Amino acid sequence: MNPVDQAIISQALLSAAREMGIKLYRSAYSSVVRDGKDASTGILDCTGQAVAQSDELIPILVGSLSITFRACAERYPVETLREGDFYICNHPYHGAHHLQDILIFVPIFFEGELLGFSASVAHHLDIGGGAPGMNTSATDYYQEGLIIPPSKYNLKADWQDDGPFQRFLAANFRVPEMTIGDIDSQFAACAVGADRVRELAAKFGPATVKAAMSEMIAYVERRVRAAVRAIPDGTYFGEDCLDDDGLSDEPLAIKVKLTVAGDQLSVDFEGTCPQVKSNLNAPFASTVSATLACVKSVLTGDDVPFNEGATRAVSITAPRGSLLNPNPPAPVRARMEAAFRSYDVVLKAFGAAIPDRAVAPGYDCTTGFCLSHLKDGRFRVFLELRDGGYGGSAKGDGCDAVAGPLSNCTNTPVEQIDADYDFFRIESYELRPDSGGRGRHRGGMGSTRTYRILEDGVRLSIYADRFKFPAAGLAGGEPGAPGGCFVHRGDEVITVRTKDDLPLRRGDLIVLASGGGGGFGEASARDEAAIKLDQKQGYVTA
Amino acid sequence: MRVGIEIGGTFTDLVRIDDRGIRIVKVRSTPAAPDAGLFDAVEAGGIDLEAVRDFAHGSTVATNAVLERKGGRIALLVTEGFRDILLLRRQDREALFDIFYRKPEPLVPRSDTLEVPERVGSGGDVVRALDEDALVPRLEAFLRDGGYDAVAICLLNAFARPDHERRVAELVRRIAPDLPVTCSVDVSRAFREYERASTATLAAYVQPVLDAYLRRIEARLDGSGFRGAFSMMQSNGGRVPAAAIRSNGASALLSGPAAGVTGAIRQSARSGVRDIITLDIGGTSADVCLIRDGRPDLTKEARIDTLPVLVPMVDITTIGAGGGSLVWIDDGGLLRVGPRSAGADPGPACYGRGGTAPTLTDAHVVCGRINPDAKLAGSLPLDAAAARRAFEPIAETLGLSVEEVASSAIRIAVEAIVSAIRLVSTSRGRDPRDYVLVPFGGAGPLHAALVADALAMDRVLIPPNAGVLSAYGLLVADYSVYDGVTRRRRLEEEAMPDVRATIAELLEGLTRRADELGLGPDRRFDVILEMRFVGQAYDLGVPIDLAALDELKASDLVAAFVREHEIVYRHGGLGAVKSVEIVSFQAGLHVAPETVPSLADVAEAEAAIPTIGARIYDEGRWHETSRQARSAVADGIRGPVALEDLTATVYVPPGWTAASDEAGNLTLRRVA
Repeated sequence: MNPVDQAIISQALLSAAREMGIKLYRSAYSSVVRDGKDASTGILDCTGQAVAQSDELIPILVGSLSITFRACAERYPVETLREGDFYICNHPYHGAHHLQDILIFVPIFFEGELLGFSASVAHHLDIGGGAPGMNTSATDYYQEGLIIPPSKYNLKADWQDDGPFQRFLAANFRVPEMTIGDIDSQFAACAVGADRVRELAAKFGPATVKAAMSEMIAYVERRVRAAVRAIPDGTYFGEDCLDDDGLSDEPLAIKVKLTVAGDQLSVDFEGTCPQVKSNLNAPFASTVSATLACVKSVLTGDDVPFNEGATRAVSITAPRGSLLNPNPPAPVRARMEAAFRSYDVVLKAFGAAIPDRAVAPGYDCTTGFCLSHLKDGRFRVFLELRDGGYGGSAKGDGCDAVAGPLSNCTNTPVEQIDADYDFFRIESYELRPDSGGRGRHRGGMGSTRTYRILEDGVRLSIYADRFKFPAAGLAGGEPGAPGGCFVHRGDEVITVRTKDDLPLRRGDLIVLASGGGGGFGEASARDEAAIKLDQKQGYVTA
Repeated sequence: MRVGIEIGGTFTDLVRIDDRGIRIVKVRSTPAAPDAGLFDAVEAGGIDLEAVRDFAHGSTVATNAVLERKGGRIALLVTEGFRDILLLRRQDREALFDIFYRKPEPLVPRSDTLEVPERVGSGGDVVRALDEDALVPRLEAFLRDGGYDAVAICLLNAFARPDHERRVAELVRRIAPDLPVTCSVDVSRAFREYERASTATLAAYVQPVLDAYLRRIEARLDGSGFRGAFSMMQSNGGRVPAAAIRSNGASALLSGPAAGVTGAIRQSARSGVRDIITLDIGGTSADVCLIRDGRPDLTKEARIDTLPVLVPMVDITTIGAGGGSLVWIDDGGLLRVGPRSAGADPGPACYGRGGTAPTLTDAHVVCGRINPDAKLAGSLPLDAAAARRAFEPIAETLGLSVEEVASSAIRIAVEAIVSAIRLVSTSRGRDPRDYVLVPFGGAGPLHAALVADALAMDRVLIPPNAGVLSAYGLLVADYSVYDGVTRRRRLEEEAMPDVRATIAELLEGLTRRADELGLGPDRRFDVILEMRFVGQAYDLGVPIDLAALDELKASDLVAAFVREHEIVYRHGGLGAVKSVEIVSFQAGLHVAPETVPSLADVAEAEAAIPTIGARIYDEGRWHETSRQARSAVADGIRGPVALEDLTATVYVPPGWTAASDEAGNLTLRRVA
């Protein structure tokens, strides 16, 4: 293989994956896709191994495309596919994440020869189930939405022009024009990816493109292995927990054992608590993605693209029936909290292995905050995901009030909320002083956002974490502040739980505070100028 | 006489036009005192300022003030409860996998922000009246102790009701009459408070720097008896009288690349070419831009150092591939070009200033496409041997010859540029084969045919003296002013009277502004409606034919939008089922400058460039060919050959031919 052709084809495949991603989120209706980039796109080789994946969409969907693909290909072998066929799946127990994430794989043919697949996944607004958007009270995953098992359909026969499969899906969704619109965007993204790969085949020949795909996987494996080799051999541990499962007060322990042997890394979540009855379980694909996102962040950064090569150098296991590898029919809708905590424990174990890259844990929660209102027979739903502080590190303070490391969701502009919703108003949105864990390098601060309720009959539902157990400090640093949610009603203050659902009244003020990151190093060692600056800016009040 | 002066990072370019034709001057920039460099160029050009009637200037002074955080000390006034607007930003981050991620330093620290007791709603309703009694004492103390250079005001929903911002501005002026005040609604009437606050702050932040800069220039101009018009380039590709840029410095940010695009549009129009893709390759980056029918798309999503700037800017895509880009092998064994650069110092190995790492420029020297015997900026000789030496370690690692590695590096850089062009073309539903590639900048013409080849484009048009096209662009640019407003509403027939009224209101506002600025009477307008399907978050712009505005129906607009959506996203999003909404209106007013001769009419001939033999490496072998002045080239000359004028080298690869036209443009075509 000519090294220049290799470099050029690699670059072109990565650009194709990115281009697919941009198409997808810019035309999306789902706010979680357009503002949260909760989607992913990529190119797979003809055996379904991921070759290139967009690196501008959210980390939680990195590295698990191939798992879902295999579930589809097992049932409908690749050899049986024809032009126009596609695989589709959202089944959490067949390689997908939660039901909202629908994965589509489109085979790419060139002169009758299968070159590979273009893949897209997007988080959909509504996919049916027990409640609009999210059914927090689900006790199994059947209640969480329509299940699409690993399947094969044909675009022309089953989808286009109001095809039977499209009609079937549309009939099961509450806002079909939007969900179907977003699935169309997924197909359009896949078509773009397929065109780019075919253009490469026309220019370089199909055999060269296929060889370049294999080499691209081998290249990433080499780079990840080189990074692993630089870590001292040994076994390293990390431990953290979730506040509770929303049904009882028991904390949920998450543990990891990270073993480095030469250039092989193994990550084992042995000791993690059993699966729970509520929707906090993380399907194994989410556990894999969270782990790989952490491996990429710590070991290779943004320079090394992500593909199947990384998974060859990293083996990941979690006990069957645990929170991180549950058995059906456990519900999984709110899997992000456990995914974040698995990210945190891997980060902690890496910190023990490579102290100069050690980072204290951040707030690292998905604070899913939802206000809904039924008026004149019409449902209005407002959903946003909040921020938190990052942990301090040997290099510096943690970042203040930013989306968690596995996501990258933007906030909703206050002016957009004012224009779109008349049943509540944002009254303030500020950094939260003193919330960053003290240390030589302090943790990042969380933020406080307040919502004034303007009508009776509004409902609040929330899923969050770290209201009880904050982000720990590292190397003598102190923990960050926990988060919290309170409803002020006249003189009364109602404390909202991390997983909660309650009716509101006109005039209520909701105060939702995200927590800070853990501090790094002894607070007494903090630089004098930094202390002064924190005081002057009001970041630290004491 | 007319003079255009563009100050870049390394060189300051000057183009002067008078009865005797065009003269060009290139001097080294003086980054520490850019206005000194400007007058160095004036002197080097032997320009009598008394005789200059049009003095057009493009400068990076505003951009650099932001990048280097050397702007003014700003007081920011915001709605109570939202003091951290610049720190909270949009909560997302640019680097997804960086565990040490920090947000860029804000332009205004938290302690320089004051909250204003007031609140306006989305429809312009007053939710909480402005409490002046509470505000005034706080404001007095705040401004008295602050030592501020300027004040920026951004209140929630001010675009729907600007009274509160205006009243607060009055109070500020009463307390501190000398402080310049920027209201957010005067720089942008778009919704989204963080982006608007960022824009207002940027405008206020660069204002003291721009003001001082312009004052120094004006003082020297006045002292030299200058009586002409002094104008500045904006990032929208048009210029304004220098005085106007003072009141909104945001439009000067990132104006550098826009001047070249304007120059390319005008120069290619002389050959009747109006659909082009521009390619500007400099020392550290390559800029590409797609132009339909002589007009660039404008973006409202521009950022500087990640800070949003909500003013319309020429939609230029930049990638880190330039002459100084380093060629290297990563730890997975892959040959890479950039994104790191050797910068201006030490620069490429061939500059002989101590650089030992190979760069893209070195690759062109090794392959004989840049004249290895040339002198750098006319003085220092190039060190061709150093360029070869720099590639030796990589050649050894890969087991290839030095020239093979060098030509491979060029191919890889070309592929990166190709990806960037795909982003502005195929990615947006435009076929690059329908466009002509127009390269400029020092290194654009070296790569253009290779880029066109990879995109199956069959024509490249190379303006004369492409190395100073940006300075020329200043003189051919229209005077342009823009305005826009967010007014979201569903597109139904009943909405049309309002749509027409909003457009009329915008055009009236622009006309008033043009009158204030003393712009000429021959005015051209354009209007774009930003639309989307209800539920989407990103808009698509649809241009409006103003001549047919009275007959325009909502259904026409919906059809035009759905067509554009299909082109860009490959699906119509169920146009028949879904509602379409207008989000905002954007309008521009343009006044053309007087006719300017072609950049080919350079007074000094290129006679000094002799035809010499050249060895050029391409397609895996050395070719014995020639290097000659492009003005002397015989029509239909076949590549490989290198053609030169005073500011750039054109590389014509094998399989391509070159021919000049009356406008002085050189057209490269692929041999059928």
